[in-house]
Amino acid sequence: MTESHLFKNWFVIRRDLPPSRRLLLTCISFLLPIALWCFVSYVPWIWHPDIKIELSAEREGVTTVFTAGDHVSKGFFPEFVEAVRKDNAVVLAARAAGTSEPGAKRKNQKLLRQLAPLAVSHDWLPYTEAQNDAVLYTLWRDIATGKKVTKRPSLTPENLDVVRKNWALLAAASAEFSFAKLPDTSLLKLIPQGKPANPIYLPAPDEVIRTGIRDFTAKVPEGELTMGDRYKRSLQVIFLGFLWACLVGIPIGILCGVFDFFSKLFEPFVDFFRYMPAPTFSTLLVAILLAGDAPKIALVFIGTVFQLILVVSKTTRLLDPSLLEAAQTLGAKPRQMITHVVIPGILPNLYNDLRILLGWAWTWLVIAELIGVKSGLTEFIETQGRFRNFDRVFPVIILIGVTGFVMDQILSWLHGIFFPWAGTSSSFTRNLIRILRWPVKMISRSNPATP
Amino acid sequence: MKTDPLLPDYREQTPEVAARFARLVKRPVALEVSGLTKRFETPRGIVTALDDVSFSVHKRELLSVIGPSGCGKSTLVRILAGLETPSGGEVKVYGEPVSGPGPDRGMVFQGYTLFPWRTVKENVMFGPRMAGTSAFTADSEAREWIELVGLSKFENAYPHQLSGGMKQRVAIARALANQPRVLFMDEPFGALDAQTRCQMQSYLLEIWKNVDITIVFITHDLDEAVFLSDRILVLDANPGRVREVVEVPVPRPRSTEQLFDPSFLGVRKHIDNLIHPPGQEQKEAPVLRMAVADPDVV
Ligand SMILES: Nc1ncnc2c1ncn2[C@@H]1O[C@H](COP(=O)(O)OP(=O)(O)OP(=O)(O)O)[C@@H](O)[C@H]1O
Ligand SMILES: [Mg+2]
Repeated sequence: MTESHLFKNWFVIRRDLPPSRRLLLTCISFLLPIALWCFVSYVPWIWHPDIKIELSAEREGVTTVFTAGDHVSKGFFPEFVEAVRKDNAVVLAARAAGTSEPGAKRKNQKLLRQLAPLAVSHDWLPYTEAQNDAVLYTLWRDIATGKKVTKRPSLTPENLDVVRKNWALLAAASAEFSFAKLPDTSLLKLIPQGKPANPIYLPAPDEVIRTGIRDFTAKVPEGELTMGDRYKRSLQVIFLGFLWACLVGIPIGILCGVFDFFSKLFEPFVDFFRYMPAPTFSTLLVAILLAGDAPKIALVFIGTVFQLILVVSKTTRLLDPSLLEAAQTLGAKPRQMITHVVIPGILPNLYNDLRILLGWAWTWLVIAELIGVKSGLTEFIETQGRFRNFDRVFPVIILIGVTGFVMDQILSWLHGIFFPWAGTSSSFTRNLIRILRWPVKMISRSNPATP
Repeated sequence: MKTDPLLPDYREQTPEVAARFARLVKRPVALEVSGLTKRFETPRGIVTALDDVSFSVHKRELLSVIGPSGCGKSTLVRILAGLETPSGGEVKVYGEPVSGPGPDRGMVFQGYTLFPWRTVKENVMFGPRMAGTSAFTADSEAREWIELVGLSKFENAYPHQLSGGMKQRVAIARALANQPRVLFMDEPFGALDAQTRCQMQSYLLEIWKNVDITIVFITHDLDEAVFLSDRILVLDANPGRVREVVEVPVPRPRSTEQLFDPSFLGVRKHIDNLIHPPGQEQKEAPVLRMAVADPDVV
């Protein structure tokens, strides 16, 4: 029975799907983009227009130096490899002819360091010791004799051959590193190695996760900001800006919704002002409020408050007027109608309005943090973006998104708790409310004064 | 006026009923409406909703206002409650002119105008609380009113958890909790199904019997009007004018069995004729081109 319905009734006009299907679709809506990202990142022949260099070489007479981690285009990489091979051929030819090269020792010392990135990526050497020639020297030996096997990346047979040939030359001169005993003929260069990669602006998910974890857990030197500090600062700006917008906007909005007087007095100007983009005031705000967070908070405030006034006044006007009439016939005075009918009546809708406006505030945050002295998460994004460290930028962007989303979900869930009478709460929240109310009920029930 | 020969004349009253009406008119006048006129200015011109409406209601009377749709019943009751200002004329409650809404005149609306954020009890407490009664007193009073309308079990429920009939009972309790001198009801049972409506009518009579209150009841349902009222004010449409004030000869206490009494049917027939004058019956419905002839469907 259920099986035959598995593919049925997915598309019914204006009807809610059953909860299990809704949950499934919600999961898919997140998994789909992530899957697409993984697909593009990990399936090699999909896109990968670049080669990420894992092992590089310097060339004579060429000023552009590529180091491991750089991206080059797929078209250029073979050229690069060919050029290095040609260099090696020249070296071999010179060696066969017996011509000695001036400055070969210094050049060879540099060539020895070609293994340094490999040594670091295999943890054979700490990053700070990348120029420790003594250790690198033994490394050539170990790789040549097969005592150490490279894995990240593993050397191609061609390169292993180069290592062995070089080691043969080196071993003949000395078993240990000594500058004086370096050969007088040039060593061979390692041939560049690389793997297909996506453009630098689309790092793979695992890179993003790894750098994300590293950045968020990193211990920073005294006086510098951790990611947590930046996050806190960003949240502070947005919440203070939003709080001020609420404190100013909600009362004005309600007054506009209730009294035509205030509506006609405020709304035309507010309507005009909200079309002036908040960022255009940034220099002005910095001039008035100087450095620090004040101009940033003010920008979030300006970006939010005008919208808020209009939305709140509209929500207030949408309150069922018959409730006001009922209150009037029950003897409520004008002020009581506002405090006892208008405000409680619009609260659930107001709450939802604020949720939407908080989303707006988030968009102003990024601009706010750029004005004056850059601050918070945006400063990090800006700096790292400039250095093209997009794998460090993405985690922060995702963090902002997740924060906004999670906050909205929590607020949406709280709606059911705050406004049980709106009839939107789920059975879970209803039960929760019942449990929370139980003590109150017990006390009121045991009240002997009630008839 | 010609009446149905099979039914008694609506003017025939038993001695008890006649005596009751005689006593009724001697009671003080609770509500006096004189020369009430209401004009609306609309983009398509001036609409006269009420034209020179005058009548009076005595203390503890239950008066129904009936008339075709759009004749100005709602407009009338809104003016009486003070929610609308008349274009002319005057309304007095126990001799005091009405100038705005107030707690001395309760109102039950056709739509359920309960405050959704308040429980049943809190809804009923609204009026007294606004008047400054302490929460404790208002609470215990509210319980009594809720008991009167038979909803004690639901005093902590929110309006969205109640059925339509229950909501209207709460609305009545809420209006009564203010202890108004006159209660206006604008088609309060209009949105309910026939059975619930019947129950609610009996409830209303029961409440009216136990509470010192004068009721003006708006309806477009003939049976409802006859069943509930002492007198029925029949309004004409376009513009709304008083056609006739009919005394209902059906004795009290009323019960549903009386729905088929000759006196009931007689007065019902008479009002029906007033609202839908004979000879003005609906024209025969036009036959659709696509109609299918079926001898069993006539
Ligand atoms: N605010 C208004 N503006 C303009 N015209 C109005 C307004 N309110 C009512 N009217 C007009 O006054 C007339 C009477 O309306 P009213 O609502 O009082 O009728 P009603 O008898 O209550 O009808 P129903 O039985 O359908 O409730 C109608 O013709 C209506 O169009
Ligand atoms: Mg009406």
